[in-house]
Amino acid sequence: MSISTTVFSEPLFNFKLSHYHRLATINRFKPNSSHSLSSTSNIINYGSSCSWTLKPPHKFLSPKFVTFATNTDTLQQIQSSDDVIFSQTHPINRIQLVEGKVFIRLDQGNDLKNSELIVGCNLPGKWILHWGVSGVDDIKSEWNQPPRDMIPPGSIPVKDHAIETPLKKSSTSPEGDTFYEVRISFKPSDEISAINFVLKDEETGASYQHKGRNFKVPLVNYLKEDANLIGPKTGFSLSQGDIGQMSNVILDSEATNDKVQDSSSESESPKKENSQVEGFNVELPLTKEVTVNNSISVSVRKCSETAKNILDLETDIPGNIFLHWGVCRDDLRSWEAPPAPHPPQTVAYKDTVLRTQLKPKGSGEGSSAQISLGEEFSGFLFLLKINENSWLNNKGIDFYVPLSTSGSLVIGNREDQSKVVKSEEAGENENSEFTNEIINEIRHLVTGISSVKRRKTKSKEAQETILQEIERLAAEAYSIFRTSVPTFSEEAIVESEVVLDSESPELPPKIMSGTGTGYEIVCQGFNWESNKSGRWYMELKEKAKELASLGFTVIWLPPPTDSVSPEGYMPRDLYNLNSRYGTIDELKDVVKEFHKVGIKVLGDAVLNHRCAEHQNKNGIWNIFGGRLNWDDRAVVADDPHFQGRGNKSSGDSFHAAPNIDHSQDFVRNDIKEWLCWLREEIGYDGWRLDFVRGFWGGYVKDYMDATKPYFSVGEYWDSLSYTYGEMDHNQDAHRQRIVDWISAAGGTAGAFDVTTKGILHSALERCEYWRLSDQQGKPPGVMGWWPSRAVTFIENHDTGSTQVWSSPFKNRLVILIEIIYFD
Amino acid sequence: MEISVIGNSQVKFGRTDFACRELGYVILKNNCRFSKGGVCFGQNLRLKKGGGIGLKAIHAEPVREMKNKPSGSRTRSKQADGVRLFVGLPLDTVSHDCNSINHSKAIAAGLKALKLLGVEGVELPIWWGIVEKEAMGKYDWSGYLAIAEMIQKVGLKLHVSLCFHGSKKPNIPLPKWISEIGESQPSIFFTDRSGQVYKECLSLAVDNLPVLNGKTPVQVYQSFCESFKSKFSPFMKSTITGISMGLGPDGKLRYPSHHELPSNGKTQGVGEFQCYDQNMLSLLKQQAESSGNPLWGLGGPHDVPTYDQSPYSNSFFKDGGSWESSYGDFFLSWYSSQLIAHGDSLLSLASSTFGDTGISIYGKIPLMHSWYGTRSHPSELTAGFYNTANLDGYEQVAQMFAKNSCKIILPGMDLSDANQPNETHSSPELLLSQTMTTFRNHGVSISGQNSSELGVPGGFEQMKKNLSGDNVLDLFSYQRMGAYFFSPEHFPSFTELVRSLNQPKLHLDDLPTEEEEGAESAVMSQESSVSMQAA
Repeated sequence: MSISTTVFSEPLFNFKLSHYHRLATINRFKPNSSHSLSSTSNIINYGSSCSWTLKPPHKFLSPKFVTFATNTDTLQQIQSSDDVIFSQTHPINRIQLVEGKVFIRLDQGNDLKNSELIVGCNLPGKWILHWGVSGVDDIKSEWNQPPRDMIPPGSIPVKDHAIETPLKKSSTSPEGDTFYEVRISFKPSDEISAINFVLKDEETGASYQHKGRNFKVPLVNYLKEDANLIGPKTGFSLSQGDIGQMSNVILDSEATNDKVQDSSSESESPKKENSQVEGFNVELPLTKEVTVNNSISVSVRKCSETAKNILDLETDIPGNIFLHWGVCRDDLRSWEAPPAPHPPQTVAYKDTVLRTQLKPKGSGEGSSAQISLGEEFSGFLFLLKINENSWLNNKGIDFYVPLSTSGSLVIGNREDQSKVVKSEEAGENENSEFTNEIINEIRHLVTGISSVKRRKTKSKEAQETILQEIERLAAEAYSIFRTSVPTFSEEAIVESEVVLDSESPELPPKIMSGTGTGYEIVCQGFNWESNKSGRWYMELKEKAKELASLGFTVIWLPPPTDSVSPEGYMPRDLYNLNSRYGTIDELKDVVKEFHKVGIKVLGDAVLNHRCAEHQNKNGIWNIFGGRLNWDDRAVVADDPHFQGRGNKSSGDSFHAAPNIDHSQDFVRNDIKEWLCWLREEIGYDGWRLDFVRGFWGGYVKDYMDATKPYFSVGEYWDSLSYTYGEMDHNQDAHRQRIVDWISAAGGTAGAFDVTTKGILHSALERCEYWRLSDQQGKPPGVMGWWPSRAVTFIENHDTGSTQVWSSPFKNRLVILIEIIYFD
Repeated sequence: MEISVIGNSQVKFGRTDFACRELGYVILKNNCRFSKGGVCFGQNLRLKKGGGIGLKAIHAEPVREMKNKPSGSRTRSKQADGVRLFVGLPLDTVSHDCNSINHSKAIAAGLKALKLLGVEGVELPIWWGIVEKEAMGKYDWSGYLAIAEMIQKVGLKLHVSLCFHGSKKPNIPLPKWISEIGESQPSIFFTDRSGQVYKECLSLAVDNLPVLNGKTPVQVYQSFCESFKSKFSPFMKSTITGISMGLGPDGKLRYPSHHELPSNGKTQGVGEFQCYDQNMLSLLKQQAESSGNPLWGLGGPHDVPTYDQSPYSNSFFKDGGSWESSYGDFFLSWYSSQLIAHGDSLLSLASSTFGDTGISIYGKIPLMHSWYGTRSHPSELTAGFYNTANLDGYEQVAQMFAKNSCKIILPGMDLSDANQPNETHSSPELLLSQTMTTFRNHGVSISGQNSSELGVPGGFEQMKKNLSGDNVLDLFSYQRMGAYFFSPEHFPSFTELVRSLNQPKLHLDDLPTEEEEGAESAVMSQESSVSMQAA
């Protein structure tokens, strides 16, 4: 925040304050599924969206501090005989997403022997290519310093494994705009298999990569003698996968948007035919947050002839701007609509509010309005609607312009420090200051009628924000009160239990959400070794009371079915519940015992894959046994090992067993029936869903809807982003995948917050506590984005004592504690 | 300076998730019921129109708009706006030991949550035993001033309850110096037939006796009130909008007739008369002598049951029992008139002290609903209300309130007949309606309260019932903030109550403003699409 004050010479009074307004409604959720497409339109969109991509984005960039001294149209009037009694400019810093492209071109050089990699970018910035190479025989290492003759001049070596080369301005961009590029020449004989790089913007410190991986330009294929066998497309598709989604950057993940072009040998150069190197040219969209400076200027002058106040308002914010305005007579600032005449393009918006479309300026971007007001009014109130999504107001308070000459003093007293409220993320900016603001705002609503209107328009947004805030505050208060409960009442507790029982029908579809009360503490009731005794259910049963006394509310039991592996994760006959953990009767027994002590029980549902009992005619194990005697039609088609005849898998593949094709009705119906049977027969209250990466979350929603679990949680486990072997601070891509899954599942189940777990590891092992908040100051894992569905955990069987990822908070008992932070 | 941009959420709400849409509809059908921890108020119509909710909204649950609160109080009449809702702060908000705010962080968060919910204000118990703990006339208001400031900052109203009684849970005894006097003079406390002394409150018989270092309790109460008034003058009227005068045990106008309740709380016995401290007995004796029956003044009735017994276990409360005899009438009239006189002196003290502030004064009576179905109403009799099948004992109470221009607080708005044990012939609903009628007839405005801080079966339904319809209440003071209040089992129901108070019977189809809004946004989007093309 900076405040600069400058003084104009001309007007009688001048008051100029620079208010830096951050206006950012960048959509943090980037769900990939189709229904969320519209969410991306949340990005504040100045002008039409197409103008974004077509116009050189940096046009928005040059700061325009529109002042009355520099503009022409309306200003001449101002500077005429009338007295300017008030003038104020509000500069506005908007964060805007500008889209550009990264161009990656592999080209042969002038010399037949030399090839050239050109990396370019058409967004302004101090771009730096941070790159290294992989050797042919050393494919694993992505960061070797390239041979000296490959390094362009002006490069700076980073330690011994990378080179940083600044991109240079060049005028050769297709659109004739400023274009930055770097060229790296190399010889095919260099025995380099790939060039790896990330693009850094030194201005912002942002580094553009994707999924924590580097851009990888494979060279081997092009350098091989028989290059014609492998075209650039296939060659590139390798890295294409990597460039799916850039973290930190909004990028269309649709592969179709990437124009992979062969720079066809015929058309470009006949020489090419002789060349071993086949070039390609790829453009990838790149989005960058750019600060855009705009301003709103208001000035009031007294018209000497009519004794009226004439108010001029102008802004250089592009697009159609609507001014919502009214006047007031006293300090209460209650809105009222002044009598006509009104400026052109004015309509009554509410009884007390007028709406005027600002008149576009003749030249350039921006628009203005001139309003004349009777002298009986003491103030002018306004809001700007800068597009469909966004309103500009002054810290939740209407802009206020004093009309009387003494008014300028009033402004001086006004609170000029405002706070950023990002409309999209307001709910997540949870701090007390923010609450105060909401309260202020609510309070302010009392005074004005604009309130009625504003509450309407804003309220959908605000109310949600407020709801979240209320929930957060309540949870905060609850946690403190609960822990500091005095000896208050033993009877109270008894009573409240009674009450709960009798009221439970009133707290209705808890189960709709599958997240229980939001305050569940889950204990994983087994570990990787628990099967060894053969009577684990009975052993666990004895611990039920103790677990209840420790405060656990939910227990997760091992997978109950007949299984090829003793741990139960290779299920075979789903209806046979005699396992290495005990018999079906023992299972029912232990479930009953937990219910007795008030603990809910989760079944471990392994739905992704299932082991066959019989071979097909080719000797492939893909014919199932037991009551669900499916055949190879129930197996996904894309794993050659199992010769499935179903559809292609809707998720990642688990290679050890046939993956089930959930896209088919008969499979889903059978699974639903099985899950319902488990619910009824065994008494499970909910699910821990194994390997949900393996199939589409929408099917999970189907299963959850059918079984209405009290609580369920999916295991979406994949690896976090690393750069140079070090975990990235930004794990947005990782949590995005989990959030996407939850979203696909319609929020019917939570998901383990693997992101948080991973980050905690790095943070605690190495005391890197800066990892504990993300760039927005929120929790860096799923918790920060979708707290009510985030199931944080300490350990589980994959991380615990007997497994690899054992952690700095090592427990003797491998107990997984999950706490849902219910926001 | 920064400018906040508030996005219009059209777009946002356009993100549709079918799951949620279904959820939305389900909830619409159920008339906006609750699911899990979600807070739900405002109009569900949003959901219907907007088509659903996006990622972020999914866990927010059906969102209803905050409506008419707090601005509503300005723009709509009180009736339409529903009742002013207050929430009681924890009894031990200010710590007895060090006069500081207990778990102030939680309270701060709680206050904000309440404010955002649209609650009007909070009720704060101010304990005699904390403020004037050390010595007579030595007041320490610091803790309470701090909390008042917090409340003012958040923008909530404050209703203070001056508590001239003590509490066992949490342990807030009377001032030390009172207890010390009580050591040597146990007769300043209520005493029962077996000689047990009730130390949580002074006996009303000493009201005007100079037992406290030469001062009468009424004088001490008065100084307390005056000190309060001067210390809190910056808050008066602006933040503090109501003062409840503590009138006896648990702050209520009553005898501590049920203080020996069995802790299992099973059957509510009839309680016992509390007229056995020296001063009460001497008053009784005087009364008996002046009525010409000196023998009646030797003690209370001999044929009453003990605390937890039923009325039938002895002859006094039985049909045709002693209560209907002329002795019974003599005793019960005297016993109840003492209580009313006590209430009168304290309420007139309060209204004279605070009269010039324009703040409403409240007094509270108990809802002695056990045995209301019997003719003798023994629970009410022992508590000091001579209300039987033959006589409306609340007439005089109401007159006394009316005379002092005080408002009445009636607890038990959450109690329903259906959930009372059959064997006690209890009927909170009938008793409540009797008292409400009586007070209303005397022009005394009525405030409501719930009895149980931990919720009772059907409590929320009953409260809603009592708060809607013709029962126009001045305000409702919901008891009470604490762990249970914010627990996921409770808080959603509470928010729903708030919503129902703010919008009595607002039907989904009945929202013209919504329609306008819809039209408006349609226009807007048209415009913006035009402008998009133009751009």
